[in-house]
Amino acid sequence: MYSDRVLMQVRNLTVDYVGDHSVARAVNGIDFDIREGEAFGLAGESGCGKSTVAFALARLTRLPGLVSGGEVRLNGEDVLKFDKARLKAYRWNEVSFVFQSAMNALNPVIPVSEQIMDVIETHQPDLGAEGARKRASELFDLVGIPSRRLDDYPHQFSGGMRQRICIAIALALQPRLIIMDEPTTALDVVVQRDIIEQIVELKGRLGFSVLFITHDLGLMIEFCDRIGVMYSGELVEVAPAEAILTNPRHPYTRALGNSFPPLIGPRLRMEGIPGTPPDLRSLPEGCRFAPRCPHAMDVCRSVAPELRAYPELRSEAACHLLN
Amino acid sequence: MIYILRRVAFYLAAFFVAVTLNFFIPRIMPGDPSARIIASFQGRLNDAQVEAIRASYGTTGSLWEQYIGYVGQVLRMDFGISTVQFPEPTSSLLFYGATWTLVLVGIAITLAFLIGTMMGIHAAWNRGGFFDSVFTPINVMLNAFTPAVVALLLFYAFSLQLQWFPLGRAHSTGLVPSWDPQFIGNVLYHATLPVLSILIVSFGGWHLGMRNVMINLLNEDFVILARAKGLSDRRIRYRYVARNAILPQITSLALSVGFLLGGALVTEQVFNYPGLGKFTVTAIESRDYSFIQAQLLLLTMSALVANLLSDIANVILDPRLRKG
Ligand SMILES: Nc1ncnc2c1ncn2[C@@H]1O[C@H](COP(=O)(O)OP(=O)(O)OP(=O)(O)O)[C@@H](O)[C@H]1O
Ligand SMILES: [Mg+2]
Repeated sequence: MYSDRVLMQVRNLTVDYVGDHSVARAVNGIDFDIREGEAFGLAGESGCGKSTVAFALARLTRLPGLVSGGEVRLNGEDVLKFDKARLKAYRWNEVSFVFQSAMNALNPVIPVSEQIMDVIETHQPDLGAEGARKRASELFDLVGIPSRRLDDYPHQFSGGMRQRICIAIALALQPRLIIMDEPTTALDVVVQRDIIEQIVELKGRLGFSVLFITHDLGLMIEFCDRIGVMYSGELVEVAPAEAILTNPRHPYTRALGNSFPPLIGPRLRMEGIPGTPPDLRSLPEGCRFAPRCPHAMDVCRSVAPELRAYPELRSEAACHLLN
Repeated sequence: MIYILRRVAFYLAAFFVAVTLNFFIPRIMPGDPSARIIASFQGRLNDAQVEAIRASYGTTGSLWEQYIGYVGQVLRMDFGISTVQFPEPTSSLLFYGATWTLVLVGIAITLAFLIGTMMGIHAAWNRGGFFDSVFTPINVMLNAFTPAVVALLLFYAFSLQLQWFPLGRAHSTGLVPSWDPQFIGNVLYHATLPVLSILIVSFGGWHLGMRNVMINLLNEDFVILARAKGLSDRRIRYRYVARNAILPQITSLALSVGFLLGGALVTEQVFNYPGLGKFTVTAIESRDYSFIQAQLLLLTMSALVANLLSDIANVILDPRLRKG
């Protein structure tokens, strides 16, 4: 479904949270590509930096967050160097965002039509109010909500419908990439499935790429083409989705896979991952996962492993065990 | 609609409770108002006359009969005869005073709300900027003043010393109340200092309230989304943030009516302004029961009406309340 043409290149991306007395490096120089038309997943325990990456790619990082290094290239242009005018075109024309909570993502006191139309009118003023409205009702059709409900208020929709509206808003300007940070976490399982299927269908039809974040590894493996596994602000493995499931390279990926129930086959015992991720302000030397790793060797505790390609598996991983 | 009807029913019940309390409290207190009048005639009245005075104060018959009579009077807006300005009907004094108080409080509350809210929006939007760092602390300080202090200072400086403003009254003597611009101008001139003293101590509250609610809203997903969508600053500020932040402000507006009326009472004393406060003080000094009672009732009523208005405004502004 996806080509090998790279849409977005992330290189050495580094994001800090600046405190009064300390700086927490929430994302420590990560590299990955998002290809055209692909769904790229970011997995990892809570606090590993997934949202921080998502916000940085959309240039939505706000203080105390600070993108302190690296490049984010969209078709070759460095997004991190965009000025205000270029940024305005970048956001929503090229990249859009779907937030976790659809209730909070919609302004409760104005009709949803206005919240779809305003982004269209801002970026495509030639269309006029009428054109924007026509487009809004097309978008409603696209996500399967009757367009007669265009002028309803957010609270008049169910949670699933609200999230569809957010997706419609994200699609408004036909962006190349939609960043979805836990778009279905707040929804029940059935609705979650409907929405994912809808996104898959729209993605096939419109050809955009998706950066997808969820805690549900099963869902992610099913929906995404490739997955990056993050641990403590670093990517420890990037691989095709099925390889994450069937042939995980990194011990953390394996542990993460074990901590979720399998999609098919008998429900095995779920193993949590013992221990907790390190504090970002006092990191262990060497590999950050070493203190929790059942296979840790001496070298792991002194030298941080680099992300290396394993072409035979089309995957990359950062682990001394693999050498 | 059902929501509003429920609120109306609630306020009617509250009003009825207030009327009932208003009836019983003075009767529990020692000293019967009609006794005072009767005593002032030093026995020169015959029984029939005594009875007539009693009747006009509603202090004849059983408590129950008195109560029914009282409720009837309230519904007819007939509050009996003033003991001090005997035989002036209380209601005409009350409405005269209430009109001027309404002028003061109406202008002051509107200006305070508009100025404070706009300042709050501006301060929150440029949080930590020059405007915010200068005006937020100043407004907090002004908000801590009492109306009495400000009124006295203004009166001393601008009425007594500089003599820019009159020493009292709601309009110049000799002018007949009407809607012509000259009279209105005269009224505004007389109201300037009293309004200013209420305004100065109250707009800071709106500034702070709006600022805090706005700042909290700035971190909401829908505001971040609005920014990401590339909407203009203006649109985000007013249509997304302020539009939501105004809702709690309107609720506090209703709650502040009592406080503002209290402030107005003091201010009217200082500026010798013929509002409710002025009459109330005179009434308390002379134990004019019917006036005090009626005035309490009027205050209760204005608080209830203010709350009802704010409920209606909230229903208009907040679609979430509109269902059903
Ligand atoms: N505003 C902030 N100020 C300081 N530190 C922050 C802030 N936001 C996030 N962090 C820290 O940055 C790290 C990464 O946070 P992030 O929200 O990106 O994690 P996440 O992977 O999205 O987690 P989750 O799965 O819970 O959403 C965490 O350690 C978090 O404590
Ligand atoms: Mg997150």
